[in-house]
Amino acid sequence: MTGLAHRNILPTVVTEGVLCRCAACGQALGAATEPWKAGALRREVPLAQAGGAAFDTGYAGVVLRQFICPGCATLLDTETATAGDAALDDRLIRR
Amino acid sequence: MDPMTFSIIRHRLFRIVDETVITLKHVSGSAITNEGHDLMVSLYRADGTLLMGGVGFLHHLTSAAEACKAIIQRFRGQIGEGDVYLLNDPYTAALHTSDIYLVAPIHHAGRLVAWSACFVHVADIGAMNPGGFAPQALDIYSEGFSSPGLKLVDRGEMRQDVLDTILNMVRSPEMVSLDLRSMIACCHVARDRMGALMGKYGAIVVDQACAALVEQSETLFRARLRALPDGQWQSRQYLDVQGETARVLLTMTKLDDRLVFDFTGSDPQSRHSINCTKWAALGGLFAPLFPLLCYDITWNEGVIRPVEMIAPEGSIVNCTRPAPVSVATVGAIQSVNNAACTTIGKMLAASDQYRDQATAVWHANHFAIFKFGANPRGGYSIGILTETFAGAGGVRSFADGVDIGGEIPNPISRMANVETVEGAFPIRYLFRRRATDSGGPGRFRGGTGGEMAIVPHKAPAGGIDYVISGKGARHPMSEGLAGGYPGAPNSYVWVHAAGDAAEGPVSADRLETIAGQHERVSWGVYPLHGRDALYVRWNGGGGYGDPVSRDPVSVAADVRSGVVSDIAARQVYGVSLKADGGVDAAGTTSLRQAVLAARLAPQEAAE
Repeated sequence: MTGLAHRNILPTVVTEGVLCRCAACGQALGAATEPWKAGALRREVPLAQAGGAAFDTGYAGVVLRQFICPGCATLLDTETATAGDAALDDRLIRR
Repeated sequence: MDPMTFSIIRHRLFRIVDETVITLKHVSGSAITNEGHDLMVSLYRADGTLLMGGVGFLHHLTSAAEACKAIIQRFRGQIGEGDVYLLNDPYTAALHTSDIYLVAPIHHAGRLVAWSACFVHVADIGAMNPGGFAPQALDIYSEGFSSPGLKLVDRGEMRQDVLDTILNMVRSPEMVSLDLRSMIACCHVARDRMGALMGKYGAIVVDQACAALVEQSETLFRARLRALPDGQWQSRQYLDVQGETARVLLTMTKLDDRLVFDFTGSDPQSRHSINCTKWAALGGLFAPLFPLLCYDITWNEGVIRPVEMIAPEGSIVNCTRPAPVSVATVGAIQSVNNAACTTIGKMLAASDQYRDQATAVWHANHFAIFKFGANPRGGYSIGILTETFAGAGGVRSFADGVDIGGEIPNPISRMANVETVEGAFPIRYLFRRRATDSGGPGRFRGGTGGEMAIVPHKAPAGGIDYVISGKGARHPMSEGLAGGYPGAPNSYVWVHAAGDAAEGPVSADRLETIAGQHERVSWGVYPLHGRDALYVRWNGGGGYGDPVSRDPVSVAADVRSGVVSDIAARQVYGVSLKADGGVDAAGTTSLRQAVLAARLAPQEAAE
């Protein structure tokens, strides 16, 4: 990061000035006014492959979404979702 | 008011609530009350607003306030000393019909000065399925006896006609009678101890202290909110029933000293009994809010004032009569619990000051299995598998979640000993233990859930039956935090085998070795007869942080203790283990580099 004052959206994602950044490496993730996930890599893993046999429900319709820093590959956030559901939107509010 | 007197009265109120809970448990004989702690006792002010929230299921604290207000309105001018009122209508205040509220006025010197309210999940309520959860119900009319308010005790005298009418509508009248009497005893203790408090300090002074306590909570809570970041955080929960999926979508907005929980975007109410009413949803979001944001603030009306809830009418979190709601407490209400826990956890984790208070979702999915049938003593038993209260600890930002560590909405929940259950029902446990890979992976791992299997044993009718209101067999419900994975979903398997118990005992040490046809079940009524078995695995808590940043030594320890599999250690945590179970450092470095490289490989355009 640049050393400017920053505020966390999540422990893994900060806003610094007008940008969202990865908290680990400072990689820019887009404008602070936009959903930070737009600047992250998104992978979708079938739930059955997510974390061992306990995650295999026998139903193929659920995925584990991973939002990844394109700079350092840190996992910034995860969601479980069904196809077509929008990504969750976490953001700070400026007063 | 001088601070010493205020502090003494405040602590006396805490102790009164504690003593009422002890009383309730001493009188009650049911496992769900004594083992699962599916109960609540709280004190309310003369106008019905929350004064002192007790322990137990916290989503009842605000709903019972509505019950007090409903009784005040219905019986205005008729409320006498020694009265006890009953209310269990979900469309008035209750969460579902089987969670009966008993509400009792507290008088001093002839004047109404306060209320006590309590609940237990009664053994039966006369719904179409035994035990109160009615997965086969089509509407509220098939979910048992339901009252928007009646007088059960009139100036200290039990209204026998009313009691007999209630007991005439339930399957287990002796246990329901005990449930009701345990709550009446609880109300008596609350009245006596509050009377003693007012006798010592005077009703006016006590009331001034109560008003100051509410003001103190509001002041402290607003200050805490101001210290947290302004922002919005979202969470989504999926409830899968019979192949249908319903979503609960929550957007929590925190601005200055206000919190708004907006459920706009949640799905319409379901034809299944997983819905909840408006008051139930409100209680659902306060259940994690009280312990996570107000762990050092008295839980009362002052905490409620800065909070607003938006719940669209006709949605799964604000259903309209006559939608069925009997599974609400483990359905939409629990999803509201989970969603609020996630958004509050995100907000806390965004704060340098409060990050160590953040937690991922704990036990997210009760399975609510009620056993019923003839017992070896010539009677009939109904009871829940209390493992549903065993839970799984959600992770924190600095440590793993506690294995089978309970749940956020009920800080005192627990499960019964195996022997206790086997003594009450003609069943035998094949095994019960922590479930491998159930805890959400992360830098810090979510607490594990458990797994168990039961079979019939010396059952006079050849076995028993059970009602299952399971969800979460398709969707994980305990979300992770900051890159942590969710806990694994639930699994319910009915193993049906030919033959009968006379062929010898069924023996197995894991699901795969139980002989018979394995069928996934989750909703309805099923038999446990002959050589049948029922296997249940319940969810773990969500994880925190990137799993490939977890200390490899901790992963190795998890594998040795059986709570993480070799496959998950390699694929999720990127840890290579040597033949002796120790960490292969070079192999781990290589594996983790491969995991990171795979993440950066093209798969799909970013959203």
